[in-house]
Amino acid sequence: MTDVTVIKPQRDVVAVLGRIQLWLAGLAIIAMMLVTVVDVFMRYVFNNPVRGAYDFTEAMLVVFVFNSMAPIFLARANIVIDLIDAAISVRVRRMLVTLSDLISLALLVILSYAAIVPAMQAFDSGERKLQLALPLWTLWIVMFAGLFGTIVCALGAIFLRSWRDQDTGHKL
Amino acid sequence: MSSQATGGLGILILFTLLFVRVPVWASLALVGFVGCGLVSGWQSAFAITGTTPFDTASAYTLSVIPLFVLMGEVASGTRLSAELFMAAQKFLSGVRGGLSIAAIAASACFGAVCGSSVATAATISRIALPEMRTAGYDDGLSTGSLAAGGSLGILIPPSIILVIYAAIAEQSVPKLFAAALIPGLVLTALYAAVAMVMVRIKPEYAPAPQSVSLREKLNALSGPWQFIALFVVSIGGIYAGIFSPTEAAAVGAFGAIAIGVLGRRIGGKKLLGSIEMTVVISGLLFVIVVGANLFSTFIVQTHLPEVFISIAKSWSLPPLVVMGLIIVAYIVMGCFLEGIGMVLITVPVFLPIVVSYGYDPIWFSIIVVIVVELGLIHPPIGMNLFVIQAQAPDVRLVDIYRGILPFLVAPFALIVLLFIFPDIAVWLPKYLYR
Repeated sequence: MTDVTVIKPQRDVVAVLGRIQLWLAGLAIIAMMLVTVVDVFMRYVFNNPVRGAYDFTEAMLVVFVFNSMAPIFLARANIVIDLIDAAISVRVRRMLVTLSDLISLALLVILSYAAIVPAMQAFDSGERKLQLALPLWTLWIVMFAGLFGTIVCALGAIFLRSWRDQDTGHKL
Repeated sequence: MSSQATGGLGILILFTLLFVRVPVWASLALVGFVGCGLVSGWQSAFAITGTTPFDTASAYTLSVIPLFVLMGEVASGTRLSAELFMAAQKFLSGVRGGLSIAAIAASACFGAVCGSSVATAATISRIALPEMRTAGYDDGLSTGSLAAGGSLGILIPPSIILVIYAAIAEQSVPKLFAAALIPGLVLTALYAAVAMVMVRIKPEYAPAPQSVSLREKLNALSGPWQFIALFVVSIGGIYAGIFSPTEAAAVGAFGAIAIGVLGRRIGGKKLLGSIEMTVVISGLLFVIVVGANLFSTFIVQTHLPEVFISIAKSWSLPPLVVMGLIIVAYIVMGCFLEGIGMVLITVPVFLPIVVSYGYDPIWFSIIVVIVVELGLIHPPIGMNLFVIQAQAPDVRLVDIYRGILPFLVAPFALIVLLFIFPDIAVWLPKYLYR
């Protein structure tokens, strides 16, 4: 599976944005892995675990999840059930893909809009991560930034000619 | 409209959306959001929708997903599959049908570091299929054993589908991993038994075996031992209570990268490709979990499972019949639904019913994974069958279907065994986590 390139080698804004978010997500996984390994090592060898490793993992997971979405939406790599593909024309299939794009876009907007209230509550309450003392609202900002990039990439997939035909339709 | 009717209608709309190619996450999220709005009011729907993505994305227990996927992706990019197959092939030399059993054994071992069935089937068949065809094995037997062996990837821990089940059913990941180990080994043995019986009935399916010396057999282990040690350390660490699942996954991913890079099994470009694929695979799983959490909240609000339970109890249906119906429903859905989507859609509805009949949710998780495995290999639409045909386009699909049919006996036999001896699944978690 490693020979698959998710984002087409293009230089337009959405491709660059998608690639940046892809690698931010990748860096978050690597950081999560390294800190956890160091934590385990320090705990068992020196009886001195890394303070805040748990909080760090949770924070990096937020960075990972919301940045991984942009390349997925740009490449239309979300899992679809393509059972009817053999029975429909290319035109109908393209219409269904556009319908899916619009539903996905509407849902991304709803998710972002609905998150404003809890994000404001996190800001007002000043709640922080227990060990790292990281304010929770910073992670909500990461979420909004990731969702914003995802919405831009989803729009690009719908309206930019070079991305319209992209349909990876990932299967596990 | 009553909330139960809304729930039923929601499920119908969900299947319609899935059928017209709306992505699984979007189908689940849309039905979940609109359904919550109709049942509990729009303010409540927006409140749930506003917090679900953040809560899902900051759940420590789910950090295991990208880390195990990374471990599997790195392992796929190395020569591990070839080394495992060669070792199994040498070990089983002298046994008629040895290559077929070697393919199943290599798939089981590879699944133990990979966690994905399709990746296991694709990776092992790339190596094993040409060898088996050159050796004169029947195409049906070759592809059947590879497809069946590949399906072990989602049962033998680490299993991504079990992590997803744990999230949706609020179960412990270490307990589920412990529950899956013995059924995974039993299913491997059953698949191997099917291959041996096939060769016994039709000796022309496999050439006469050639044995190699014990020294050669032991030498063959020098290739994949590091990865086997990696499995023992990471998954064994969970069983022994040394690591949490996230720690085990991080150690496993780090170890896979270290073994790959230091042993020059993986280059920089392939490693970057593995990270890229990890981002995409894990990311799309998270998006689906977000959608499934919304859908699951909607189902809980409709009280639909309680209605199903009361219907089943008013008809005085015995537990075995209810479980039989659920398994049949899974097998039918497996014809057209993708495995993880199927788990996320069905578990919120089926699990309360199963639990109300006194079955253990951990035991049920193993049943669910086995029926999802069946969905991957049963004709006409078994993902693994297509993956294998993609590796060998000159093998006719009908031969692949013919080859897989005898292997379908094994998962059914395991399901029957699990009903008769539930301890196959529940003994180890009970023993380890007393």
